[in-house]
Amino acid sequence: MSPRRYEDVEFGEDLPEVSPDVGMENVHRFCHATGMLGSRFMDHEKAKQEGLPQAIVPGIMSQGLLVAAIHAWAPGCQVAFVDTVFRAPLLVDSHPLCRAVVTDKNDEARRVEIDLTIVNEVGETRVMGTATVEL
Amino acid sequence: MILDLHNHSIKSDDSRAKVENYCQWIRKRDLPIDGFALSEHRQFDSESDYRPLEDEYGLLILKASEVETDYGHVLVYGVNEDMVAAFDFSRIDLPLSLVVEEVRRCGGIAVPCHPGRTRVGMVAHVHQRGSVEGVEVIEVLNGGSRGTENDEAGHLAEEYGYRGIGGSDAHIVSHIGRCATHFEEPIESIEELVSALQHGGYRALRPA
Amino acid sequence: MAMSVEELRSRYAGMVFDSVEVEALAEEMVGFSTACGETDPRYTDPGHADFQAPVNFTTKYHGARMLPDDFPNFERARMIDAGKAVAWHAPIRAGDTLTARSRLYDIYEKTGRSGVMLFLVHRMEFSNARGELVSVVDWRLILRGGLQ
Repeated sequence: MSPRRYEDVEFGEDLPEVSPDVGMENVHRFCHATGMLGSRFMDHEKAKQEGLPQAIVPGIMSQGLLVAAIHAWAPGCQVAFVDTVFRAPLLVDSHPLCRAVVTDKNDEARRVEIDLTIVNEVGETRVMGTATVEL
Repeated sequence: MILDLHNHSIKSDDSRAKVENYCQWIRKRDLPIDGFALSEHRQFDSESDYRPLEDEYGLLILKASEVETDYGHVLVYGVNEDMVAAFDFSRIDLPLSLVVEEVRRCGGIAVPCHPGRTRVGMVAHVHQRGSVEGVEVIEVLNGGSRGTENDEAGHLAEEYGYRGIGGSDAHIVSHIGRCATHFEEPIESIEELVSALQHGGYRALRPA
Repeated sequence: MAMSVEELRSRYAGMVFDSVEVEALAEEMVGFSTACGETDPRYTDPGHADFQAPVNFTTKYHGARMLPDDFPNFERARMIDAGKAVAWHAPIRAGDTLTARSRLYDIYEKTGRSGVMLFLVHRMEFSNARGELVSVVDWRLILRGGLQ
């Protein structure tokens, strides 16, 4: 994809929806890269023993999934700020969707604000946030 | 007339939504709502003047508050100086009975919100400790609800004869307009909203 | 008796209580990015001329201490991660040695699905070897039930 120009971005524009890989194998890859080796992320049975429904995706990985979705939409952009709230556990081996939409444009700074959400299979918001992106 | 009665702006600690962006979003997406209320957490925003935005976008923007009580969170409409002096909006342990009584005494109305939500909704508290006198309206549709939380709110309303409103509980721009309240009569001010909520003639709905 | 939020804030908010050095390794940067589904080679290809860490790479680091040494005790099992905000200031390159200073940026209380929640906003500021600020991470930690 070619870089997106600020002028070509519209308020209200939806970024392409992304079906991220939150399978156990990929979550293990992330955990090993970050040193987050807690069993709540890497083992369904042990996560259940901790009172969770099953293993959960690390919060910072879910944030990374959303950042990657922004880069896929606007290669070469700079994410200047990203803030995510972990509203509810995102489950490993589930099939969530990353959604993002442009909700503000700052012509002077050539920055856009983007709403970010990760929803589960029934459309419930698990992760919510915003990003500021320089184009 | 359709109003989304529960939203947060950057004035709340956990929201990143600017009010103008809410207005732009409503118009850009052609959402079928005529206005919205801003219910900032644990405070009342007495400073902001949204009249220029109301004029520019043709929307009604009302200011309210969401306070925290021993029966969960409560939306407060019709906040005035007397009410702000009557109890500390910043506390997280206000007695619901006190809030309901003082809000009514000061000319407003208190509406428990997201009643089906664990700990911060009134359903479980009512089942454990009984209902609270003076509650007449609850939020039966909340845009941030999960699972059966809105159903539980609806059942509570049926059981106790409460009237129901709807609100998105938006914390980001794109979440406004998910739930709202349809009023049979037009509303042009916070006083008219309080009066309508006190007397009936409305229902919760999902506008989109 | 547990300290009030006001006491906690006046005693601890703003105080730098920890400083550590970390090294940004290329393989960790690539592993982080590829697992997140990154497609931009700036973040996945160490051979790219502008190879750098993704904006939230610094969220993986922890200091030597999570809280000041004399912060009141509580059971760590009551602590949950409520979210993180990251501000990008400059690129982090493979091999950069970063100094991370931690402070309690804010302390406040509210109620939620977990009941009474004490929020501890833990801020880590990362600077590179040239002293340039490269990243600021605000980590919102919730202590369920408050200090008790």
